[in-house]
Amino acid sequence: MAKSDTKGKRFLNAIIYPFTRNGARINFVKLSKNRTALAFLLPICAILLSFVLGSIILAIIGAQPGKAILSMFQGAGILAKSRYGGGQSQFSDFMMLLNNATPLVFASLAVSVALSAGMFNIGISGVMILSGFISSVLIGYSSLPHYVARPLVIIISAILGLLAGSLVGYLKFKFNINEVVQAIMFNYTFMYLSNYFIYRYFINPITRSSNIVSDEARLTLTDIQVGGVKIVIPLGFILLIVVAVLVYIFLTRTKDGFELRAVGLNARCAEYVGISVKKNIILAMALSGALAGLAGATYYLGATNTIKPEVLPSTGFDAIAVCLLGGSHPIGIFLSSLLISGMTTGGAYMQARVGVSTQVPSLIIGIMLTFAACTAFMRYYIQKVSLNIEDNLKKEGLL
Amino acid sequence: MEEKKNSEYIIEMKHITKRFPGIVANDDVSISVKKGEIYALLGENGAGKSTLMSMLFGLYEPDEGEIYIRGEKVKFKSPNDASALGIGMVHQHFKLVEPFTVAENVVLGMEGGMFVDLKTASQKITELSKQYGLEVNPNDKIKDLPVCIRQRVEIFKMLYRDAEILIFDEPTAVLTPQEIEMLLNILENLRKAGKTILLITHKLEEIKKVADRCAILRQGKLIDVVETKDVSTSDMASKMVGHTVLFNIDKKPIQIGKTVLSLKNVSYKKKGESVYRVKDVSFDVHEGEVFAIAGVSGNGQMEIADIISGIIKGATGNIILDGEEISTLTIDERIKKGISYVPEDRHAVALVLDESLENNIALKKMDTVQFLKGLFLKKSEISKYSDMIIDKYDVRSGQGRSTIVRSMSGGNQQKAIIGREIELDAKLLIFVQPTRGLDVGAIENIWKLILKERDRGKAVLLISLELDEIMNLADTVGVIYNGHIDKIAKRSDLDEMTIGAYMMGVKANG
Amino acid sequence: MNTVLSSTLAFGLPLFIIAIGGIFSERSGVTNLALEGFMGAGAFTGALFAVIIMSKTGWSSANVMWFAILFAALGGAIFSAIHAVLCVYLRADMVISGVVMNILSTALTAFLVTTINEKAFKIGATGKFHIGVAGKFTIPGISKIPFLGGLFTDIYYYELLIIVLAIIMYVLLYKTRYGLRLRACGEFPQAADSAGVNVYHIRFSAVLISGALSGIGGMCLAYYLITQFDANLFYLGYGYLSISALIFGSWKILPTLGACLLFSFVKYFALWFASLPGINLSSVVTSTVFQALPYIITLVALIFFSKSNASPGALGEIYDKGKR
Repeated sequence: MAKSDTKGKRFLNAIIYPFTRNGARINFVKLSKNRTALAFLLPICAILLSFVLGSIILAIIGAQPGKAILSMFQGAGILAKSRYGGGQSQFSDFMMLLNNATPLVFASLAVSVALSAGMFNIGISGVMILSGFISSVLIGYSSLPHYVARPLVIIISAILGLLAGSLVGYLKFKFNINEVVQAIMFNYTFMYLSNYFIYRYFINPITRSSNIVSDEARLTLTDIQVGGVKIVIPLGFILLIVVAVLVYIFLTRTKDGFELRAVGLNARCAEYVGISVKKNIILAMALSGALAGLAGATYYLGATNTIKPEVLPSTGFDAIAVCLLGGSHPIGIFLSSLLISGMTTGGAYMQARVGVSTQVPSLIIGIMLTFAACTAFMRYYIQKVSLNIEDNLKKEGLL
Repeated sequence: MEEKKNSEYIIEMKHITKRFPGIVANDDVSISVKKGEIYALLGENGAGKSTLMSMLFGLYEPDEGEIYIRGEKVKFKSPNDASALGIGMVHQHFKLVEPFTVAENVVLGMEGGMFVDLKTASQKITELSKQYGLEVNPNDKIKDLPVCIRQRVEIFKMLYRDAEILIFDEPTAVLTPQEIEMLLNILENLRKAGKTILLITHKLEEIKKVADRCAILRQGKLIDVVETKDVSTSDMASKMVGHTVLFNIDKKPIQIGKTVLSLKNVSYKKKGESVYRVKDVSFDVHEGEVFAIAGVSGNGQMEIADIISGIIKGATGNIILDGEEISTLTIDERIKKGISYVPEDRHAVALVLDESLENNIALKKMDTVQFLKGLFLKKSEISKYSDMIIDKYDVRSGQGRSTIVRSMSGGNQQKAIIGREIELDAKLLIFVQPTRGLDVGAIENIWKLILKERDRGKAVLLISLELDEIMNLADTVGVIYNGHIDKIAKRSDLDEMTIGAYMMGVKANG
Repeated sequence: MNTVLSSTLAFGLPLFIIAIGGIFSERSGVTNLALEGFMGAGAFTGALFAVIIMSKTGWSSANVMWFAILFAALGGAIFSAIHAVLCVYLRADMVISGVVMNILSTALTAFLVTTINEKAFKIGATGKFHIGVAGKFTIPGISKIPFLGGLFTDIYYYELLIIVLAIIMYVLLYKTRYGLRLRACGEFPQAADSAGVNVYHIRFSAVLISGALSGIGGMCLAYYLITQFDANLFYLGYGYLSISALIFGSWKILPTLGACLLFSFVKYFALWFASLPGINLSSVVTSTVFQALPYIITLVALIFFSKSNASPGALGEIYDKGKR
């Protein structure tokens, strides 16, 4: 461009350049080096791709993809319905969504904290049952008033989870038992043992589920009238925000949080610097367990008020994938949890409106998670291609 | 039709050049090896011997030059191509599956049919072992075998595939003297059976004992090819070391203070291995002194640094820092007592690559009052501190102190590490390979930094594979060979040739 | 007591063949938590074709079972190819991939059964494929022996198939060239690579084998336990139970057989025990405790035998040929 070019001409060129071949190549290389941008874009690609595939599936079974997906989000309260029944509004739907999503966010935080120290926690479901069961029996079936019951539920659940997590960390260190293997064992052990007691003493023969816990102990307030609309108030959600902020502050601003992350990033360096790897692994698993315990409390004494025996809550496994989708960052985790909970919650409305079974949202979630599992490869492939392009650009003198 | 070349030379490598990013590993090297001879390649680290042989074995392709095997020009795209022509290599790091038996390892990849016939394989192995004097029980599991027997299994893998040309990469690095004798006998037997052997090594005595000819490489170039019976070990050492001083640096005269570090009879044997990596090492380092340990890679010097810092546990002997025994202290305690350590491996040990520059700089001081307010990190203090170091040590990066270290250049990463360690103001500074992979300007800078600390009265332990660096920086030199420090003397009493000779195992009276 | 023993075999052998699949995958170096999902994918495919064949030909369920098993193997293998590609070629984390496979399988099979019933078979949106019972036989004479006679009573034909398959897999893993290379890939892939073995191909095929075997085992379990395929009833954690068994068996085929039979015996013994006169517990109650036992036992075993932690050396490590 000559100096005599007008400002307007230069401006136009600047807009067009990114779309030229060279401009696109340079921008691609720059983008591939921007880790935060990639951390956003790749999961979004996975989500979009899965919706595309989901739309195709919806079309094949004879439903209108646009209408179906729209009604799914309307059912979740993320978008507004055209009409609401008596005592319901988008707000009430959204509150229900928060209620359902809270356990998932707790569980995903649990996965994320463990991952910060390089550990995989797939035992969240088992801890959820453990904490849900013991809290139900000790507090949920008691007649304690709410201002005692609810704090106790929270404290007991967190402590149980903390102990379970510490045990896993300790066993890993002392006996070198892989934490994934331990998690499988503990999941089913906790489930079957608590099932025994439920069947024996606490079963409701009609619902085939455990006796429901008292409303005083429940972390979700139901049937609350607010301006002509009946909503639920998930107290667990408030707790979640507080805990999430605390966890985030711990990991990013305290010395111990930093040491924990250092162990996860490079255990050899952490050791060289004088950090105790053992202590931090146990700490990470303990924290992760405590969060899993809270997931259990907000699930069994919050989102629902009963324990269905012989079922491992899928929350513990969905959380792993949510963590993957959310890039281990609290905001990403929160948004991904909302998305996935939203899709499951909104499935009922989608069925009512478009006649598509609730299995479709689950399927789209499954596809989404499969794509999410590919993000590591996408990142690697993008780096590879980018390095090639960068080399070529350098040879051509453009970089 | 071209006449077949004279079959006297089974291998000819002509004008081989191989470049890697930033370095010319082989620079116009030509060698010819006769059938049935034992041909040694001698040189320091980085001389280019391993690279040259890797191309012969098919791991890399040369950038320039040609390779001829039995008179025919060849192009190897993978080790399978080389193997098909009868070339085999015994690597320094064995490629053996531990839970498998000897027979299973040998037969892997060459099972001869859908079913693995271990019986026939064992028979063939037993025959081969008799033929070459390599005692091995085909049914032993690798994990139960000592290192020298494992090496034999590697040799068997080659013989089983009817290899005619056998390349050995530093085979005696992991053997005891007795085992070395046994290996040298095996090499003789192999030669008698008509095999051609290439031996990559830095051990002069062994070359004298067993090799016919020896090619001497230095910094990628071929210096000379000699008949081993016609030269002495000191001749070979001098050719190998040469005069390679990059530049001379001004050093103030030494002003020694009290003893800061004292090692007494320190030995270390890794669990499961039979050879002591560190044997009965004793030396002192004083205030205001640079004590350098010279030696070829793999003779135990890296382990000494890890032992002093506390990363390696299980060594015997005494480690005394400023009068206090520290061998029972944790790594953290030792750092607090005043030990600074710049390790060999920048990426795997010294830095958390995915963290910011400022966090990496403040890494060792995160738990000090300077950066802590209760439980919380004082981010502003960390930033201030890292900015100071970035400025003082000229650490360049894309986004300043918040740059993710992974994206920084090696030189700047090293400057950050060195800055971090020096600013700890420790009593003892350990530097291992501080200028590896850096350009001349950076090297000079770092040398000046090290000497500055020495002049300030710090005790400096320098462990380096570059003779250059040692000659320029050291006040006292200890030469390590096979885990033991064979010679300690004032730098001013030593010259490169002598140090080089000790590095190669030539003893005091050689 | 007879029924305990015959049930032990009828349940334990399918568990065993699934575990063998897991052994092949993990011993080649690919962590496989997805056996649950592979089981389901295989059982779905097999049940689908069983229903189609039965309606077209009118053959008995017992005869159709053989076809069902064949298609189950195919379905399991095809589904497992996703895990294989993700883990071997796309460098995905193997634990995450396994968990995701399970999630996907549950969602996909539930959706497909309902949709196919509604759209293709036009019998309404029900979630079940009815496959009927599998054929069984009793060996006369020996089955009358008190106590051990149970082992020869009510033997399902699929048990025989599994025994034959297990023997083939045993020979394949320990006596053939393929098995040797597979085990090398799981212990030290660099050694295999330098010996000319294609680590990627071997690992990929090992995962497919685990998919096929899991499919077969899943199909048999569907026939035995619920005589139908229903995604809500099928996924009971038996995939994880077989993982437990193969860990308890130290990734070796014969000890894993012992583990599977032990776990199976414990389960049915509990049911029998609870049904005894004088024991006032419902069978469901007692069985839950005993169902925890396999997992507790495995955990305790791992603690006590921690010194000989025998997992394959390179299990879970992504193999990158470029890194030397």
